[in-house]
Amino acid sequence: MAIMRAVLCSLCAVPAPAAPCLLRAWQLGAGVIRTLCTGLALLSVCKFIEKHEWITTENGIGTVGISNFAQEALGDVVYCSLLEVGTKLNKQDEFGALESVKAASELYSPLSGEVPEINEALAENPGLVNKFYYEDGCGSCL
Amino acid sequence: MLIPFSMKNCFQLLYNRQVPAASFKKTVKNGLIIHSISNDVYQNLAAEDWIHDHMNLEDKPILFFWRNSPSVVIGRHQNPWQECNLNLMREEGIKLARRRSGGGTVYHDMGNINLTFFTTKKKYDRMENLKLIVRALNAVQPQLDVQATKRFDLLLDGQFKISGTASKIGRTTAYHHCTLLCSTDGTFLSSLLKSPYQGIRSNATASIPSLVKNLLEKDPTLTCEVLMNAVATEYAAYHQTDNHIHLINPTDETLFPGINSKAKELQTWEWIYGKTPKFSINTSFNVLYEQSHLNIKVFIDIKNGRIEICNIEAPDHWLPLEILDKLNSSLVGSKFCPTETTMLTNILLRTCPQDHKLHSKWNILCEKIKGIM
Repeated sequence: MAIMRAVLCSLCAVPAPAAPCLLRAWQLGAGVIRTLCTGLALLSVCKFIEKHEWITTENGIGTVGISNFAQEALGDVVYCSLLEVGTKLNKQDEFGALESVKAASELYSPLSGEVPEINEALAENPGLVNKFYYEDGCGSCL
Repeated sequence: MLIPFSMKNCFQLLYNRQVPAASFKKTVKNGLIIHSISNDVYQNLAAEDWIHDHMNLEDKPILFFWRNSPSVVIGRHQNPWQECNLNLMREEGIKLARRRSGGGTVYHDMGNINLTFFTTKKKYDRMENLKLIVRALNAVQPQLDVQATKRFDLLLDGQFKISGTASKIGRTTAYHHCTLLCSTDGTFLSSLLKSPYQGIRSNATASIPSLVKNLLEKDPTLTCEVLMNAVATEYAAYHQTDNHIHLINPTDETLFPGINSKAKELQTWEWIYGKTPKFSINTSFNVLYEQSHLNIKVFIDIKNGRIEICNIEAPDHWLPLEILDKLNSSLVGSKFCPTETTMLTNILLRTCPQDHKLHSKWNILCEKIKGIM
């Protein structure tokens, strides 16, 4: 968690790449799904999407997670399912489903890509989604 | 795709973007109340999906009443083997449906009213909806002791559950639906919602069983019709809208383009059973052999409703090991389903030696295995 925060702060100083990176997978919360960037991105980028999701890319690896705002809005997560490793995704495709005490909802991918890795721990322990998130302070990275 | 709607021919005009603005004159002020003419659980769930996916509910919330012929409805992430007696349901012809909202398992029949409150994501408020129902009930029967709990149940007299809640939140719209027990067959409900299956290990969301009661038992004037009208009146008053209940036909493709394929999808094996979170079964059963009991152990892993790992262990003096191996390997990849298993085991049996005793043991084993499906 502390490492993630430190990484995120250093991202803020780096300008965004000229062309958007094509993420090939992404992570959620405590470690969603690692993505391999097939684009130019050797630069690190941090971006918040509508206060709910964040994406970071670093050295060809992209990570997507949910923000503190989102995990608080969700309430306790009681079920989490993510796509299979190897699935190819388009932007806006459903990449998983969550059920919290609040409601059931789908998770939509903010990017296109392929999923090389998912966090198996979330299926076993969905409460982890509530425990790990980026601090709001990094919203300015946009 | 979001579509604004009007009261006049409300759904007919919704999907047609060519209709000029003049046709949207008689727009619904602040809300719409609809009632499905269908009692088919899949058609009604499809209507919910359609409204959720296609309608712009900004300042125009919708209340949807629907009732189903006997059905068991499980939540999005539930395990039907864990939640209900599938064998009994097959015998009695009770439908099984998986809804898209979360929550637990319920039994529907014509004595149960389903209410769906559609709003924008921002206006999603389950407690507000439940308070509305309580006001409606008290308007009909001021003496009635009904309270909403923190779990969004409605309790009668502080102990009997008369309503359970589930919901779904989408990108811009949300819905909260709940049951309302009026005159449901309580005995049947209890037997259907009791799973006989042992040894299941699963991450699926589990139901919390509750003691239930019908409102009609408490007060014979509280029929389904009375309750629906009461809630409609309260909803109309709250939203300052017309309390007329519009009947809708959820199979009408001209009003709801694409709805029938939604209903079809909800009936597929892949949706109902295939969406069960992965689980494993570790159980055993006994067979009678030469006046003693033999213990047969079963270890099965199921993913997407299909058998991933299958280990049925029986003493080899009862059934030859190579026959058991054949059974285990042929079940891998098949649906965890008695119909499919019957087909597979019948095919396999033809490859076994023509031995009456062997066939009889095989049949006993297969019946027991199907019994856990």
